[in-house]
Amino acid sequence: GLDRQVRLDADTEAQKLLVTWEDGRASTFDVEILRTELMEIVFNETVVATEDQSTGKHQWNWTSPVPLECTSLSVKVRSRDGQDVSEWSSQQILPGLDLPDNTDSQMYPEGKTVPVGSNMTFCCIVKEGQQFGSLLYKDTLVKETMLSRRTYATTMTNQGPSNPSGTNVVCSDEKKMIITGAVVFVGYPPMPSDLVCETHDLISVDCQWSKGRETYLFGMARQTYYTLNGRNCSKARDSNMRCGLEQWDGNWTLVARNLLGEFRLTDAAELGHRVRPVAPVNLTTPEVYSWNASVGWLWKYNGYERLSLICQVQRTSHSNSSTQTYTGYGLNTVVLKDLQPDEKYNVKVRCGSQKNFWKWGEWSLPLSFQTKMDRPVAPDIWLWMDSDNLGRVLWKVSTTSGYEVTLWSPEENSQQTLTLPQSMYSLPINVTDRWSKVTVTARNPAGVSLPANVVIPRHLPGKNGGKGSGFPLSWVAHANASCGYVVDWYNTSCTHDCNVEWTRVCVSINAFFSFAGNFFAGVRYTFSLYACSSESTVLLERWHGYMQELVPSRTVPRLSPNQEGSDVQLTWDQIPLEHQRGFILGYTVYLTNASHLTLLANITDPQLTNHTVKNLVLGSYKFTVKAYNAAGEDGGATVSISLDPYTYWLIMEILVALGTMTCLLIIITIACYRKRKWVKKAFYPDIPEPKLPGEWGITQGTLDVKPSPHSMVHIVEDSVWDSSKEALVTVPEEDEEGTGDEEADTDEPASLRYYNQVVEEGSSSRGRPHASDSSASSTGSMDSGHTDVTYTGIQTSPDASQCAGGGGYRPQMQSASCPEDPQTGPEEHLQPPVGSFGGYQPQCSWKQDSPEADGGGLDQACLGSPTSVTSSQFLLPYDTSEEGKEHQSSASTWFHNLLTGKP
Amino acid sequence: MAGTRTRRGTGSEQSRTARAAALAEQLHHECTLLLDLYRKKETFAKELTVSGDHLVTVPPLSSQLLPNDMLWRLYSALQQCRNLLERAIGREEVVGNGEDRAQYENQKKTVRDRLGHLLESTRLLLADGAGTAAFTPEPKNTEIDGPVNGSPFALKLWIYRIFNELEHWTLTASNTLKALHPDGATPKERGTSGRARGRRTRR
Repeated sequence: GLDRQVRLDADTEAQKLLVTWEDGRASTFDVEILRTELMEIVFNETVVATEDQSTGKHQWNWTSPVPLECTSLSVKVRSRDGQDVSEWSSQQILPGLDLPDNTDSQMYPEGKTVPVGSNMTFCCIVKEGQQFGSLLYKDTLVKETMLSRRTYATTMTNQGPSNPSGTNVVCSDEKKMIITGAVVFVGYPPMPSDLVCETHDLISVDCQWSKGRETYLFGMARQTYYTLNGRNCSKARDSNMRCGLEQWDGNWTLVARNLLGEFRLTDAAELGHRVRPVAPVNLTTPEVYSWNASVGWLWKYNGYERLSLICQVQRTSHSNSSTQTYTGYGLNTVVLKDLQPDEKYNVKVRCGSQKNFWKWGEWSLPLSFQTKMDRPVAPDIWLWMDSDNLGRVLWKVSTTSGYEVTLWSPEENSQQTLTLPQSMYSLPINVTDRWSKVTVTARNPAGVSLPANVVIPRHLPGKNGGKGSGFPLSWVAHANASCGYVVDWYNTSCTHDCNVEWTRVCVSINAFFSFAGNFFAGVRYTFSLYACSSESTVLLERWHGYMQELVPSRTVPRLSPNQEGSDVQLTWDQIPLEHQRGFILGYTVYLTNASHLTLLANITDPQLTNHTVKNLVLGSYKFTVKAYNAAGEDGGATVSISLDPYTYWLIMEILVALGTMTCLLIIITIACYRKRKWVKKAFYPDIPEPKLPGEWGITQGTLDVKPSPHSMVHIVEDSVWDSSKEALVTVPEEDEEGTGDEEADTDEPASLRYYNQVVEEGSSSRGRPHASDSSASSTGSMDSGHTDVTYTGIQTSPDASQCAGGGGYRPQMQSASCPEDPQTGPEEHLQPPVGSFGGYQPQCSWKQDSPEADGGGLDQACLGSPTSVTSSQFLLPYDTSEEGKEHQSSASTWFHNLLTGKP
Repeated sequence: MAGTRTRRGTGSEQSRTARAAALAEQLHHECTLLLDLYRKKETFAKELTVSGDHLVTVPPLSSQLLPNDMLWRLYSALQQCRNLLERAIGREEVVGNGEDRAQYENQKKTVRDRLGHLLESTRLLLADGAGTAAFTPEPKNTEIDGPVNGSPFALKLWIYRIFNELEHWTLTASNTLKALHPDGATPKERGTSGRARGRRTRR
């Protein structure tokens, strides 16, 4: 039988349970482990446990997947020999921390560090009387298992790396209040790499390595610790993975260690092969000149004096940077050459071991210095002729504070010096001036440069145009060209900021030189050849040329026609140089007819820019002028002109005639006005007013007048009558009757009946249709155009009697009652009616005072011919009253006043 | 305590009270931010609450408290908060790297500095009112130094509770000081921002 005392020893950290019992005979045992409270079997297997000879006891280890604190475990053991088993030992209980006397809430395991990927079971023991709620791993709710009345567990598998402060497992109650929790640190063991040891001071060792994979374990307890050859590397933290030893051992072992494990690295080397000098310190510049300077520094360690060093000196100025290499034992001074004067430099130095070079040391701190100023070098100058007489002295810009340009005239033994600022780099000159040489010097505070000279050409060679696919230039060797020739060229049409190129040609015989450059077709270039000598440069020749000629890019500008009689002169301007695109050879003039061009002229002189087309007949013409070069004609400029010479002359003649007539009329008017009394006397003598005896009552009613049979006057127009013989004749009554109206057969003069009525002023002013026979007669008299005076007088027209149906004369009714015979009036007047008048004065009738007299016709008659009076009115005594005057027309009144001189 | 006295409410005092109230409001905002950063750092779900047992102990609030007594009570609580925060900063290990860590560490320092200013402002208000300053001695608090069993989680939970206390008391300070300001309402302690809190333990 199994001696029944089973002993349990728990290693809670490792979650191991050590079971010990005494039984000397058997070696195979059945072990059963169950959770005490819920009697759940967690282990029930047959194990082999040999007897410890010294103690005579059997031991067996069991690792629990669940922390041993979580709940109580009961263990019992029995021996087995084949199928024979002993009785179970008494249960031995390992008490958990969920016993009632341990009331606080707890969680296990707490603060454990495990590798990434491991599985763990956490258990939460809730406080006595508290209700379990949930378990969270990080912030994720996980499924729990009940192990006892107060214990709940969850198992996490394949855990990932933790946060820096660890992964929290939180146990909360049903109210989401945190009961307890645990932290687990999940990470990796260290795995550094690349251990390299070197020396800087030739004595000690400095080892560096890479940290390698992140362990995810932080904090004093969990971070990685390093030892080098057994010495702690306390400064090896974060990314600064280095550790030093005071002496050079030749072999080094680095051990990296954290809670999850350790890692070893080794390195081995001789000291001479691992020298990496420190950075030079205290850089100075003992000597600084314009073109060079020395740079010195100190070494921190004395051992460098015997060390063969190779050093790099990097110098930087503006944006330029260059590195020079120097060598020497214990090198601590170098001389920098090829520096620029008055330039600020930054230098820094680093060195390595020249023998068994290992690595460059660290760069020193930079040192700044400025080289001293030196007088400038002589400027590189050139004389560029931009036309035959005008040129420009050019020089290349350098670091100076200004320039002095001296113009020399040896013949006159005179000179002129100009001081120019730094910003200027050219000076215009005129070769026709007296100066023959130009000297340019640059100056700065350190001094003045050597002079640079150029001779101004006095006599320019003639031009020689050239053209072709390239620019092959050839010239005859010049005796003075001791240092060759210079050819410069530029875009001829360029006017502003032109790019001038020049090149030196070192030939001494007759030269043929083909220039290749960035030439464009259709662009004129000007080449100038200069002979170079020790004293001067002389312009020998100049060419203009095109790489390839193209037709002009535009037509001739300002084409205009000008008529000169039957000729037309066409004028135009030359095409601007940049549009010529070839040498203009001439112009062609065409007559344009629809789309057909007829060549009129071909002008072969390109300087001639006009042409006259002669002997053109009147009409419209269109002319086209085209410029042409070797490549062809341009598109042509067209202009129209219309030849019409009479138009203006006709208008001019009319205007002259009108002007003359106007002047004449003005003169006549003035003369008439001045001699108005004479005119009035001559043409309008005053006619005595009739004296009327007795009362002329104005009574309504018929006025019967019995004219005197002997005072009837009738001036008869005879078509065959000679106007010169016009005279007043008295016509016998019998003749009148005989030749006149047959119906008038009475010896008595016809008693005339007038209807005397008061004529209202308003009615008289209006031209009422009183087309009486008398007025008709007057009109007919007017129409005749003759100056006859027709006194038709007072008629006793039978027609009127017929028309009116009564014996009395009623002029007011005639027009209305006899419209069918309006033309008979004048004829009838040729037949004077029988009757007589009494007191008749026709002269006063020019002044309109009768309502029957229409103003227009009568006035016109009076005005146009004062000698012709046609009156159809009743010759009543002239009413001199004011009322009667008001009936006069304003026109007649004005003219009357004009003649009489009244205002 | 200050005993009985009547607040005079001079102009300068009013302005000091107003400034202290503004400072408390700003500090409350900073504490809220600190709490959020801590939750993020420790992946504590926001719905999880901490134990109702409080680390800061003050006399119970009473309707018979005079304004100056309320200031005393507030001042005492804030002083305990500062002591707790100092200990938390001292005990929490600065681990990790990166921007989150820097932001969290800076926020802790910001809260500590502002809390010092608020304490000074509150002290000046007390001195004005009482004439002589006789501060409440810090009560003996067994949890003031934090867990001693070395449990990382216990330490985290303790810090979490301190930050919660800070958030609570800075809000209380803001409300109390606003109420003490003549323009404010009647002083009364207001609850925390909706979190479940147990009964306050008065020790």
